[in-house]
Amino acid sequence: MSEKIKTRISKSLLYFFLIVLAVLCFTPFWLMLVNSTRSGNEIMTAFSMLPGGSLARNWEVVSENMNLGRGFLNSLFLAVCNTVLVSYFSALTAYGLAFYKFPGSRVIFTVMLVFMMIPSQLSLLGFYNLVNQLGLIDTYWPLILPSIASPATVFFLRQYILSVMPRAILEAPRIDGAGELTIFHKIALPIMAPGIATMAIGAFIGSWNNYLIPMMLINTPAKRPLPVMVAELSAVRDITTNLGATYLVVAVSALPIMIAFCFFSKYIISGISAGSVKE
Amino acid sequence: MKRELGLKKLTAMFLTVAMVLSLAACGNTGSDGGNSTSRADSAGNSSSADSSGSASTDNSGGSDGGYKQYDGKIVLWTLAKDLQQFADRYREETGNEVEVVVFDSADFKTKIMQTLGAKSKDVDVFVGEPQMLPDFYEAGFCADLSALDNEVKTRLVEYTYEAGCDSDGVLRAISYQACPGSVIYRRDLAQEVFGTDDPEEIGKLFASFDTIEETARTLQSKGYTIFGDTGALRWFSISSNPWVRDGEIIVDQDRLDYFDCAVNLYQNKQVANATEWSAPWYASMAGPLPVLDADADVWGMDKDQLMSDAAGGGAGTTQVFSYVMPSWGALIVRDNAEGNKGKFGICSGVCSFFGGGTFLTVNEYSQNKEAAQQFIEYCTLNDDTAQWWLKESNGDVVSSKAVLEANKDYQNESFGNQNTYGFYAQEMEKIDYSLITGYDDACKDAFGAAIMSVQKGEQTKEEALKEFYTVVLSTYPELSVPADAPVTLD
Repeated sequence: MSEKIKTRISKSLLYFFLIVLAVLCFTPFWLMLVNSTRSGNEIMTAFSMLPGGSLARNWEVVSENMNLGRGFLNSLFLAVCNTVLVSYFSALTAYGLAFYKFPGSRVIFTVMLVFMMIPSQLSLLGFYNLVNQLGLIDTYWPLILPSIASPATVFFLRQYILSVMPRAILEAPRIDGAGELTIFHKIALPIMAPGIATMAIGAFIGSWNNYLIPMMLINTPAKRPLPVMVAELSAVRDITTNLGATYLVVAVSALPIMIAFCFFSKYIISGISAGSVKE
Repeated sequence: MKRELGLKKLTAMFLTVAMVLSLAACGNTGSDGGNSTSRADSAGNSSSADSSGSASTDNSGGSDGGYKQYDGKIVLWTLAKDLQQFADRYREETGNEVEVVVFDSADFKTKIMQTLGAKSKDVDVFVGEPQMLPDFYEAGFCADLSALDNEVKTRLVEYTYEAGCDSDGVLRAISYQACPGSVIYRRDLAQEVFGTDDPEEIGKLFASFDTIEETARTLQSKGYTIFGDTGALRWFSISSNPWVRDGEIIVDQDRLDYFDCAVNLYQNKQVANATEWSAPWYASMAGPLPVLDADADVWGMDKDQLMSDAAGGGAGTTQVFSYVMPSWGALIVRDNAEGNKGKFGICSGVCSFFGGGTFLTVNEYSQNKEAAQQFIEYCTLNDDTAQWWLKESNGDVVSSKAVLEANKDYQNESFGNQNTYGFYAQEMEKIDYSLITGYDDACKDAFGAAIMSVQKGEQTKEEALKEFYTVVLSTYPELSVPADAPVTLD
């Protein structure tokens, strides 16, 4: 009996903390949604937890000043390309670094670790000049291709694959005569899938929210991804007209991230619980 | 296991569909881009309640008409949608295409520095605000426009010409706007307290820091406050000497008077403590305001609440008599005046000043320099354009002297039928651009901070002035403190 009460108390405490945490996490999103239904003047002059009545007006400002659908598709295209490239090539590199012994593999790994420490903003100047020399300003190539090489993801996946996949697993297909790439595609990749999914979420969100680099590299308004379009929206008119509209676009643009997250997080959980090697 | 597989398939399908969709969307770039610009255009056409009357301008400048037709388009990078309207009109009248790209002002300078630092040809014309321009000139981004030198000098307001020249006096940027400063005051309160609302007479009340203090006392005795906050005085900080001359930081008697005036107004409770851009500040334009404590949290306030609290006036409320701002500030006052619309007047203050403005400049690396220059000429040196913009923008002060002259008799009903353009044209004649230096922003900020610390009793005047010098010197070590400074640094 006392045992039962104890667990009850600890459970309700646990739930209490979880609820507080959930509220804390949810409040900013709620405020964003609320503000997207209020006029700029209301947002500037007062604070409210309840929705206002300016949603239609905000929507009008948005559709007058920007092509939301266009920005959406631009962002989606970039995010999907980035996610696919990051996932596949990082997995390939990680697999190679983990299971092949070749001269210099350690040096390569160390170099990667060093590059992980350098924030991308730091190399922006040089990157811009490089892209300019290559004549790729105002194209999507410099926004997509660099994701082939993402040291942080490689590092994570290398550690991951070493922990989930014993070397012995590779011997069976080798004896059966499978090529090395086939082994990677048919055996290593599925085993790494949960790890890849985790990294893919990060890559997707990172690309979706990326502002600085597209802002620098893209000049044509129709090619801009959402975050850059949002910044433009906040600039085109007097701030009191735009603020509500800006909130509205931010709210709409956060939607796919939430959907992607719900989707992938389920996948990770089911993936982690079903490992390849039953022990 | 099966469930996991299903999810995996779903993921793959989701990603594939997304890819196909976004690729398909890339196909119709052209139609989409065109669409968004035409929409933006219709959005910009606001009502023109204030548009000027039947001003007919003669196109005496000579640069009108005869625009050449260029192949291709020029690309314009800007900070606001204003210039889209210019571009649309330009296309209609001359058949030349201008693509307007708007950037967020927070990143605009970085974008320009980065892009033009790499000698990009992707942009032909870009804008700059007065405080950014010197950096652009120095980096060599702005093409030489001295072919237009004479016209700009003679036909546009003088200070815009000076701000458009680099340190060697070569013209590199031209503005279609002018932003002269003014004191915007309440005519009804002026009548009640001073028995007149004539701009000349009221201007005398703001002629020096002494008279401002006197005016504030008179207003206080009737329950009114002279300004929203003492920050309003900062515009008058450059009255007789520049902030820096020959490498020395100058704090002359005028600046000390400004210092004392700001501290006195604050400590005698002669300002409303409605900080610029806060809700009480906006609310004060439309009616009475509750009396606010100096330490009230103005940023968390609600405009409607403030207005209903103070509705009807009476004890515990006050009214703000005046605002000191450039010409665009007068439009803010007008647009927030609500019931007070038409009760404002405009007069001059301690000194004439200007603030802001959009300058156009040609990219040094552009391959369409001629076409780009023609567009700038169209925006800035064509009096038809200036006249059109003066109406279209609903009250913007343009830089063309001829157009200001043509509109000088226009009676602006938002300002008690005052001839606002005539006033601004006169005011701009008095701006002394030689007093402007690149150190102004830093000095004004540091001086303002010093004033604030004395107002709040955190420091004595001497301590605060010492700190002012220290702050400026730490930002610009090449400067020095003259021997006759009001305080000596240890």
